[in-house]
Amino acid sequence: MKSRLIHIVILSAAIWCISCERQEAAPGAAPLALHAGEISSKVKMVLIPGGEYQPFYGADTTPVKVKPFLIDERPVTNGEFLEFVKANPQWQRSQVKRLYADTNYLRSWVADTLLPRDIHVDAPVTQLSWYAAKAYATAVGKRLPVLDEWELVAMADETVPNARDKKSYSDRIVNLYLVKNRQYNAVKQSPPNYWGVYNFFDLVWEWTDDFNSVLVTGDARSGEYSNDNLFCAGSATSATDVLNYAAFMRFSMRAGLKAHYTVANLGFRCAKDVDE
Amino acid sequence: MKALFLLIASLLLFSCKENTAEKELPSDSIFHLTTQWQDQHKQSYQLDALRGKTLVVVMIYTSCKATCPLLVADMKKIEKQIKPDYLDKTSLVLVTIDPETDTSEHLAEFAKTGGMDAPHWVFLRSDEAATQEFANVLSMKYKKISPIDFSHSNIISVFNPDGELILQEEGTGINAGKVAGKVNEAVKGS
Amino acid sequence: MTNKPALFLLSVMLVFGACKSHTEQGNASAEKPPAAKMEEAKGAPEEAEITAAPNVPAPVGNRGPKKLIVKLLTTEIEGEIADKKKYTFWTFNNIVPGSFIRVREGDEVEVRLKNDASSVLPHNIDLHAVNGPGGGAEATSAVPGKEETFTFKAMNPGLYVYHCAAPPVPMHIGNGMYGLILVEPAGGLKPVDREYYIMQGEFYTKARENGLLEFDNDKAVSENPDYVLFNGKKGSLLGANMIEAKVGETVRLFVGNGGPNLISSFHVIGEIFDNVYQEGGTAVTHNVQTTIIPAGGSAIVEFRVDVPGEYVLVDHSLSRAFNKGAIGKLKVTGEENPKVFKKGGL
Repeated sequence: MKSRLIHIVILSAAIWCISCERQEAAPGAAPLALHAGEISSKVKMVLIPGGEYQPFYGADTTPVKVKPFLIDERPVTNGEFLEFVKANPQWQRSQVKRLYADTNYLRSWVADTLLPRDIHVDAPVTQLSWYAAKAYATAVGKRLPVLDEWELVAMADETVPNARDKKSYSDRIVNLYLVKNRQYNAVKQSPPNYWGVYNFFDLVWEWTDDFNSVLVTGDARSGEYSNDNLFCAGSATSATDVLNYAAFMRFSMRAGLKAHYTVANLGFRCAKDVDE
Repeated sequence: MKALFLLIASLLLFSCKENTAEKELPSDSIFHLTTQWQDQHKQSYQLDALRGKTLVVVMIYTSCKATCPLLVADMKKIEKQIKPDYLDKTSLVLVTIDPETDTSEHLAEFAKTGGMDAPHWVFLRSDEAATQEFANVLSMKYKKISPIDFSHSNIISVFNPDGELILQEEGTGINAGKVAGKVNEAVKGS
Repeated sequence: MTNKPALFLLSVMLVFGACKSHTEQGNASAEKPPAAKMEEAKGAPEEAEITAAPNVPAPVGNRGPKKLIVKLLTTEIEGEIADKKKYTFWTFNNIVPGSFIRVREGDEVEVRLKNDASSVLPHNIDLHAVNGPGGGAEATSAVPGKEETFTFKAMNPGLYVYHCAAPPVPMHIGNGMYGLILVEPAGGLKPVDREYYIMQGEFYTKARENGLLEFDNDKAVSENPDYVLFNGKKGSLLGANMIEAKVGETVRLFVGNGGPNLISSFHVIGEIFDNVYQEGGTAVTHNVQTTIIPAGGSAIVEFRVDVPGEYVLVDHSLSRAFNKGAIGKLKVTGEENPKVFKKGGL
């Protein structure tokens, strides 16, 4: 009788301990915690030397200084993101918090860890939010590029680092943007740019770390953007290059995004500081 | 024997209760954020320390001369229209987008001079990454345009005691009555 | 002896008369009353009837203000533009021009703008009928797959253009993202026999290798279009697609001009406009042959048809009509009317 009692006590204690443990493992651990589910990235990174560039939106014509940085030579692929969610189940579709991703997160995937059947494993991963992209970057020891870094690289064509003055620069990019379903193609199928970076324009829109620094109103008729009631700081941001339609489209895209949005043709690539 | 059984049962119940509380947090609640914040009294905590209160949140920086003063005025208007006995279930939260300049002492000073030192006023700061993440949760935009100046959108947001976003008003000179009404509703229902 | 009652009556009439003329003066300036003073929109929100050109929804008639929901889907599709050639149109609801929206002054309108998931670009909407920032454009910038919503109170009666205002705006409009919204005055417009929706717009094109046409920025900047069309397609109002009326009927045309650049000199060959609501507003002029429709503007024209035959609608900058496609027809059937028109002499 006494031994039975002891057994019950031990059993109950064990149950209690287990439930305690489950408590601790529950989401007090941050999805964005630095060391959870680290994986490695095999993407080649390209060194972009520092420089000055004329931002597309600027209160005046002061160029912006960009420090040297490393950037992935191509967007993150479906296969790579699959590896990430396997190591970080809190980022799987059925587990992700609504705070961090909307209901279309990885919508086309067959299951939590099953890629879409008819989409290339080396096509860029899309339908993921800014929070998810950041979490991936952290897991591979990198970060997202900032807008200025991205736009600096975007100035280049295949032969020169700054092709913005070329008449055909914007038209060529717009042509690439307007191809339907471009996001389903595999990476690195087109020529790299001057820096050796691939697929800046022909596959997907890309998340940047500070996409929410694009303070434009929807009203783009004059190329001038200012609404002092909605936005603090009187400096009107006017576009410096009104013929650069490609940049207008890109900034318009960024301005319409919210961090938890997932879009079928929006993916990302990673960057890294040089002195790391 | 009975006492022992009761002891074990109550221990189990205790752990169960905490588990349920954790499970009840809605999927889109801001209390899932695990970033660390410091308030004007130098207390450090995660946002879920505010769980259970209805929150009115705005992001500003104290050296802003343009619309931030208007946003602060809006927050005060809202405070006046919240039912006085609901105030201890409400937090009026001002989060700085300039944590470098806006230290805890600076925020405390700002609070005092602005007559916002009642316990329901909370001024928070954190590091740049946490600040940026929080701004994105509010769908708020900002950009540092000089060492001391920011360009930013103006949004006041209301969260219910479970951390779900229930109202956002953009611009300045917002409808304080509408925001306060939402707060009163949320506190009443909690 | 003074007739006191008569004197009293006279003074009352004078005062009354002064009051009356004062009110008339007030009406002539037609200021919109503040929203707070306008009639409240009553009832549960209902979905507004919307139509494709050249048809229009039923008149609002004599009703009070309502709450209406307008659903618009922005898409990027291929369609035939002219001579069996295909063009990449950007549209509201898969049609160019976009759906005709018909509301009454005082209506509270909720606009739900969804951007199809297959779109490449973000889109939004600016309705000229809106009093508010960007005409709604700021509030509705929708990235592919997302829906954005805003609500406005229609405070001014008139015929207004709506269009996408996402940058680069000339490109979005140049690809067909425009339409009309009619805000009828209280009591509704006077009933007529036929109402039609016509929208002019020009197209600047260049061809991809596969022959698919798309927007040409250089031509747009130099305002040199390849096509100037009614309702987004060459021949949209010709042949089997002619609009119709019977002899003796009154026809009302809601005519818009999406641009993006050109002004239209709208004329119906063989007809005179009995009434023209200039620029789609409240002022009415009469006996007009050709009316100017600004880019991003409109006009309402009314005329009674008296003689059977085919009446040609044109932009009277005639090279556009005969070389670029700005031409349509109204077919009128019925009894001949030799008093008004006949071949031969008196």
